[in-house]
Amino acid sequence: MTQPLLQLRDLHKHFRLPAAPFAPKPILRAVDGVDLDLMKGETLGLVGESGCGKSTLARTVIRLHEPTSGSIVFDGQEVGKAPEGLLGNFRRRVQMIFQDPYASLNPRMSVGDLIAEPLEIAGVGTPAERRKKVAGLLDRVGLPSDSAQRFAHEFSGGQRQRIGIARAIALEPDLVICDEPISALDVSVQAQVVNMLEDLQADLGLTYLFITHDLSMVRHISDRIGVMYLGKIVELASSADLYHRPSHPYTRALLSAIPVPDPEAARAVEPMQGEIPSPIDIPSGCRFRTRCPLATELCAKVEPQLTDIGGGHLAACHFAGELAQQANGVRAPLQERVQ
Amino acid sequence: MTDISPEMWAKVPAGEKAAPIPPPAPTYGQEVRRRLWANKPAVVSIVFIVLLVIAAFFGPYLSPHTYFKQDLKLANIPPFFETYAVTDGAGETTRFFLNASNFNLYEVDAEGNMLGLLRGGRKDMIKKSQPYEFGDQTLTLDYSKLPVRLLLEDGSEVRPSGWSWNRTYLFGTDQLGRDILVRQLYGAQISLTVAFVATLVNFFIGVFYGGIAGYMGGKVDAVMMRFVEIISTIPLTLYVVLLMVVFDSGLLSIIVAIGSVFWVDMARIVRGQILSLKSQDYVAAARTMGASPARILTRHLLPNSIGPIIVTLTMLIPSAIFIESFMSFIGLGVTPPLASWGSLTSEAVETLRAYPHQLFFPAAAISLTMFAFNFLGDGLRDALDPRVGR
Repeated sequence: MTQPLLQLRDLHKHFRLPAAPFAPKPILRAVDGVDLDLMKGETLGLVGESGCGKSTLARTVIRLHEPTSGSIVFDGQEVGKAPEGLLGNFRRRVQMIFQDPYASLNPRMSVGDLIAEPLEIAGVGTPAERRKKVAGLLDRVGLPSDSAQRFAHEFSGGQRQRIGIARAIALEPDLVICDEPISALDVSVQAQVVNMLEDLQADLGLTYLFITHDLSMVRHISDRIGVMYLGKIVELASSADLYHRPSHPYTRALLSAIPVPDPEAARAVEPMQGEIPSPIDIPSGCRFRTRCPLATELCAKVEPQLTDIGGGHLAACHFAGELAQQANGVRAPLQERVQ
Repeated sequence: MTDISPEMWAKVPAGEKAAPIPPPAPTYGQEVRRRLWANKPAVVSIVFIVLLVIAAFFGPYLSPHTYFKQDLKLANIPPFFETYAVTDGAGETTRFFLNASNFNLYEVDAEGNMLGLLRGGRKDMIKKSQPYEFGDQTLTLDYSKLPVRLLLEDGSEVRPSGWSWNRTYLFGTDQLGRDILVRQLYGAQISLTVAFVATLVNFFIGVFYGGIAGYMGGKVDAVMMRFVEIISTIPLTLYVVLLMVVFDSGLLSIIVAIGSVFWVDMARIVRGQILSLKSQDYVAAARTMGASPARILTRHLLPNSIGPIIVTLTMLIPSAIFIESFMSFIGLGVTPPLASWGSLTSEAVETLRAYPHQLFFPAAAISLTMFAFNFLGDGLRDALDPRVGR
């Protein structure tokens, strides 16, 4: 078996929240034990609702946050605990595309300077060579070549995201972490950007960690999909398999909530109850049990682990096997089948 | 979707104009200039400041007077006066004016140029009068009761023939007979130099101190900001007096004093800006590229806080001018014969009751300059704030 490009083992990122003096500081467990293998050239989608720790995971992997514990192994090298000064190679080979194309581009820098910045920091080429390279990158992401002298605020959201992408691929990285790159864009622009990301992947052999909450888009772009809930991955499978037989009740609830652009279509909606619990006070046992229609006493006591339910399909639910079998049939109200 | 069917195209009916294409959106710089230009007090202030700087640095070369040359015979001359004209038997007319505060007569010509002090005869100390001879005419200056009067031989009073501006000393002279206008221009030079140098020092120390405190955050920030608080509690006057012990009294110690204390405001403002900007995504993006803290600070954080920095600078200039004037006023400033607005003010206060014009000019200069910089600072703050306007 080939070595994964990125390997996360029991990765934790906890934040200490401010508290009154002498009171114990509450701990927010944003990422709470994530294991993940990312193969070279694949796209791993990561989905989950707001506040589940997707973005924190992305920012921890790229070392914008220091991991609290656990390891990040990139191409055989441990980078989770390396000091910033020794990250040079990692910084060059891993890049990030940000969610907000307005906030992620410095308004005081011209587009040319923005795209050339990673090259400049890495010390690649002379200024003239960098200008040439920037022109090539602009062309590649479909922006007019005179954009280099202009400023980011003169562009639309989609164009700005293209600038962000050009900046991310400037150093020809191996891994690109896309933190909801399309959620701030119009639907028509989303498709263009996603197609461009796919083309770039094919041309440059990129590996994507693609974070989103858009379930229909993630299916289109991902080879594998991980579902995150309260700082943990609860289900991980190839994208076809995940949509075909979702084996965690949370995944099922998410999938049933995908809007269908057809007002006539009948939908078997399984509404989820309640809000996502606070990551400061994570429920005992299975972290989804407070909202799960299937929760039993077992769920409150024993935390289910990610287990293979066949064909590399991992799910962390005591009833994953039954759910998987049931999913092979028609989508029916969940409650009846289990009882 | 890209195809538009032929029947959807239509000609614009004759006489109707097509929708105009909007011009390109103005850039941030153009917007700032437009908003600043629309702010009339700020524009007037800019014009005033530019004129002041030109006058301060080139004006003294155009004047025949120097700031240090004394002429005790022509001391305390006002900028305008009432002239008298006396014609003697030979038909020669002598014009002069009476300085009512020191009872001297000064000869002037018809345009108002100063010709010199008129010499009178022996003073009669008992009758409190002094004779002045003009050819065959004799005038008596009677100062036995105020206001003083000029009497002809027959006892009738001479009336002034009219008002005239002082063409030789436009702002008059001080009690040592030095031209107030030139001294004022030199004072402007000193006040502006102190203001700009001190502000520049504040800018560099404040921006870097605040930038580092804001960017590092945490304990470093806490320690650095406590130090700022300690510095801001030192009374400036005491501090300047102490500095005079180390350096000599003069320009240097004032600049050092202002420069080493006033940066705390700048540091606080820059720190606040950096604290709020450093959580922006573009800073995170720079960090993922491996940018060093110095690069993030100089390329990303400081350029984006330039607006508040400029505003703080323009607000620092008037307070530096004021502090310099105040220090000179209480005698801790520039050494004579150098003049600054503050020392001019304090000299003028000594003769305030007799010659109020000596106080008027430096006081007006200080007030107008502070007004101008404050208006400019306000205007810049409004113009640089992207939330205003549109």
